[in-house]
Amino acid sequence: MLRVILFQQWKGSRMLLFLAGLTAFAVPVVSASTYSWRAQSSWDPAGLLLFGYAVGFLYPAIAAATGLIVAVTAWGPDHRGGHVYALSLPLPRWRYAGLRFVAGVVLISAPVFMLAIGTGLVALTAPIPEGLTAYPVALTARFALAALVAYGMFFAVAAGTTRTAATILGVMAGLVALQVVLTAFGARVNILGGVTNALFNWPGPFDIFGGRWLLIDV
Amino acid sequence: MGNAIETDGLHYTLGRGFALEDVSLRVPVGSIYGFLGPNGAGKTTTIRLLMGFHRPTRGAIRILDRAIPRELPTVLSATGFVPERPHLYPTLTVAETVRHHSAFQPRWDREWAASLFRRFALAEDRRVSRLSKGEMGKLLLLLALGQRPDLLILDEPTEGLDPVVRRELMSVLMDYVADRTATVFISSHLVHELERFCDWVGIMDRGRLLTEMPMTQFKNSLKRLRLSTGVALPDAPFELLVRERAVATAGETWLVRGWESSMTAYIAERGAEVREVIDLDLEEGFVELLRSFRVAEQDASSKET
Amino acid sequence: MFERLDPRSPTPLYEQIAARIRVGIAAGDLDPGDTLPSVRHLAATLRVNPATVVQAYRVLEAEGFVERRHGAGTFIRAIGQDRRDGERERQIEAWAERVLAEGARLGIGIDELAPALERAREKGRHG
Repeated sequence: MLRVILFQQWKGSRMLLFLAGLTAFAVPVVSASTYSWRAQSSWDPAGLLLFGYAVGFLYPAIAAATGLIVAVTAWGPDHRGGHVYALSLPLPRWRYAGLRFVAGVVLISAPVFMLAIGTGLVALTAPIPEGLTAYPVALTARFALAALVAYGMFFAVAAGTTRTAATILGVMAGLVALQVVLTAFGARVNILGGVTNALFNWPGPFDIFGGRWLLIDV
Repeated sequence: MGNAIETDGLHYTLGRGFALEDVSLRVPVGSIYGFLGPNGAGKTTTIRLLMGFHRPTRGAIRILDRAIPRELPTVLSATGFVPERPHLYPTLTVAETVRHHSAFQPRWDREWAASLFRRFALAEDRRVSRLSKGEMGKLLLLLALGQRPDLLILDEPTEGLDPVVRRELMSVLMDYVADRTATVFISSHLVHELERFCDWVGIMDRGRLLTEMPMTQFKNSLKRLRLSTGVALPDAPFELLVRERAVATAGETWLVRGWESSMTAYIAERGAEVREVIDLDLEEGFVELLRSFRVAEQDASSKET
Repeated sequence: MFERLDPRSPTPLYEQIAARIRVGIAAGDLDPGDTLPSVRHLAATLRVNPATVVQAYRVLEAEGFVERRHGAGTFIRAIGQDRRDGERERQIEAWAERVLAEGARLGIGIDELAPALERAREKGRHG
């Protein structure tokens, strides 16, 4: 059963997955060569770190995007059909959801793999200056974890009825709107900041997305 | 033999205004049960409750002698289902869809499915989104039959299909049913089609199951009588459902249930002559029965006010 | 042979099927020893409930026209010529009754009917 679910999810997401994988490969490689082009002969440690900070945000962004893509393509076709097909199959709903989840995890391994190749390539071929090391494995592992966390969250949202998913998105949009209104009235409340802080900084559940994402670090 | 489907006082509310009320179905094992009703009567909603898509607010459901929704997966593995609207994944090809579906069906019969595939002449590599209505109809029936089900629940399976495809589908269905004791629960608008092979009929209107009976009884019991003149009936041996003045001549037209030819004497005694006894085909019977129930409902509510 | 079965007619479908077979037997189209189509095949071809076909075959078996051999199918039995003639006569009479009944509904009497039949026969010969 997993095989056919995996096939169906892959068929529906292969284009986007390919793009995510390509991007995951490109970010370390292209950023390294961009820096190399800029720095000409030798790589200056301070400059390299600063450059790393500037482009580092791309990693968690792609991880989150991958998680989102896989979650949405996992449930999208079912939503569109009103879940009638899935509900008519002779297996419990939790088992079906489990199969979908596992299939998504398998699919996420593709962009993770591409990132491993990209970072590995840079780690092996780049002229890394004294005092700094490349951490391709750590970065890839962190990327994988972040993608899974994002996937888990989006999966849970998308797995609900279409109405639940819409409600959650509605609440998020509502918070944004509220913030805009309050700011317009001069209130010094930062709802989104507060929420983000609670979620993305330790000990928030999404703290993996925060902090520095560097391939080459001290 | 028991019942393949048994519901007891099903109640269900869908949004504002529409509700299923007190639906008690009895679908005998091995029967071909025609589920009739006008649009919006609640047929699809009832079917969705049977399939466990929703929970009724009140009432019990037993299918193949198992409780729904508690034993739903077991029941579904023995039930073939064709929905009202196509529900398959559009990006998969026909062959991929069959492969996908068969992976979930413990009783899937590959050879039988392959023979159906050939018989329906389906195009293996065509995407589901590109199928014509007829091809989709055939594919849906194939998926429903492939697991050799004991029960088939078909929600308007021939809706919108041309006569050629319709015949093909019904032919395959009759072929399957002849081979084993399978029960068929089929809802349809095409009353003429149901007439040929249903041995039971259940009629729904406005969320209620009006009546349920063997087909022969339904066909034979409803008659239209043309009478020379209207008469009073203190204690008729039949049920007078509708009574109207005749259009062109003097006299009346009656719709009766439970008529027997010997009853002409009874009417003659009351001073009227039965000029004609008209048999109603299934469609006319269905329409007339609906009319009589709606009139009765109106009378009842006007009496209350 | 089974064209235009009429599900709307007051005659039940199984009786219509049985009647056609009886006609075939009486006319000599179906010989003793011939097999009738299997229940499954006939039900699928006519798109009728298999139980209907079973009932038709049972009726014919009760009347002595066919014989069902378990596993082998349904066979036409040999019946005496006088039985066959008797059956044919019965069918003709039944048909005549139907024609008269329909005529009565349309207001056509037998005295108009007989010459009309003759004229139709002439037309058939030369037309």
